[in-house]
Amino acid sequence: MKPIGNILPGAVLAILCTAPFLLSQRNFSTTYDSSRQVKLQGTVTRIDWANPNAFLFIDTKDPSGIVTNWAIQFGNPLELERSGWKRSALHIGDALTVEGTPARGTVRQAFARSIVLTRTGKRVFNLSAIPRAAAPAAPVPRWPDGHIRLGPPQGKKGYWGTASTKVLAENSATKIGMTDDGLLLNIADSDRVAPFQPWAKALYEYRQRNLLKDDPLARCLPPGGPRQFLMPNGFQFVEQRDLGRVLVLLGGGDRNWRIIYTDGRPVGQAAEQVPSYYGSSVGHWEKDTLVVESVGFNEKFWLGPGGLPNTEALHLIERFTRTDLNTLKYEVTVDDPRTYTRTWTAGWTIPWVPDQEIQEYFCEDNAESTFVR
Amino acid sequence: MIWRRVFHLLCFIAWLALPFFLHAQEGHPLTGTWSGDWGSTATQRNHLTIVMNWDGKNVTGLINPGPDAIPLAGVFLDVTNWTIRIEADAKDSSGTPTHITAEGKLDDIGSYHRKITGTWRQGMAKGDFRITRD
Repeated sequence: MKPIGNILPGAVLAILCTAPFLLSQRNFSTTYDSSRQVKLQGTVTRIDWANPNAFLFIDTKDPSGIVTNWAIQFGNPLELERSGWKRSALHIGDALTVEGTPARGTVRQAFARSIVLTRTGKRVFNLSAIPRAAAPAAPVPRWPDGHIRLGPPQGKKGYWGTASTKVLAENSATKIGMTDDGLLLNIADSDRVAPFQPWAKALYEYRQRNLLKDDPLARCLPPGGPRQFLMPNGFQFVEQRDLGRVLVLLGGGDRNWRIIYTDGRPVGQAAEQVPSYYGSSVGHWEKDTLVVESVGFNEKFWLGPGGLPNTEALHLIERFTRTDLNTLKYEVTVDDPRTYTRTWTAGWTIPWVPDQEIQEYFCEDNAESTFVR
Repeated sequence: MIWRRVFHLLCFIAWLALPFFLHAQEGHPLTGTWSGDWGSTATQRNHLTIVMNWDGKNVTGLINPGPDAIPLAGVFLDVTNWTIRIEADAKDSSGTPTHITAEGKLDDIGSYHRKITGTWRQGMAKGDFRITRD
């Protein structure tokens, strides 16, 4: 019989083989413990400037001289670039001080709130001070026939950016205390999130108590339903008017796409058709609003951050209204009588990101940096 | 050399396991096909396949689908503690009507391969049952 020591390293390596898929896009609340703070002084040993999470690694030394390596997550590179952050702001060998939120348990990982370079005393990263550039005001762009354009004006580029909210909850609810990844500050507020059936409420609360660790998005599955419009990294409409359809190209998730047919076909999906993350969508224009009805969803995703469930009976009605060049008003009505006691509506606005293209983003890209080490 | 083989073997096993992580079912926790067994001892086991579907008001389904399928007469889920009771009416090998009552607890709800374990009564027979969502 072989000693377990010979097998164990192999088992660890096997776990490392699968870990990228399991940990690649974990919720903040699943990974980090907001009730604690950590201050680290060390030297940069590696910078992992890749999507979806920028990491730097620092060697820290304790009073007895023992060196340990910490992984410091400091945001999404696309967001950081848009905010004016430069990859060259930090170099291997730089001494720095990091303040941030440590990972749960004993894992040597933290999410940075601030990074200060020792040699200059300059704060090179400050989470709360990431600026957002406002796009100049302009009227709604239109096609020659007067119809609203959902994409960029003729000859320009741009896309729809980060939503005004990061969570999905019923509009009629007064403001609910929730983290950006959908974790309720008070679980007793779950009744106010949506009109859940008892089983759905219990399941939602189970997911909340588990700190959202089972989120399908953390396994790089697509953000189906309204969650697609709550993702960082934006989305783009491509209106193929001659083909009677609108393509939705998603920057988040895993660069998925969705088709909204506008050719007058009836709403529905053949019974034999495989249920999907984005469903079968048919749209029509009501004045300046694109109204889209979708059915044919599978049950493999969460409707939004926080763990809202759905069944295959889900029927969504989405309304897209471009109120000016820079603003898209999104409203979704959720109709799933097997999950909710009545239909309910949520909505938010999404800003236009002018003169830029959606950048390449793959959920799994630098997942190895998120290893629990 | 052995090391490398062990590593490759474990990586292969992990790779085989990936689809299970990648195809979770996030809707009603009972919906799906469950398989396992029941019996009065560890060695005397009877295969079980239970198909359940949530229609918005009730969980309906079958035990052992096929020519001898047994329709579920009632499935009662207590979401406060995730316990479940299944009722069904079958016939034994002599054709005598036999009532089935299974009471168990749903575990590992966040996993695709969630489990139900508990006690199984079928006529005069009593034992335990374990089913896992396929």
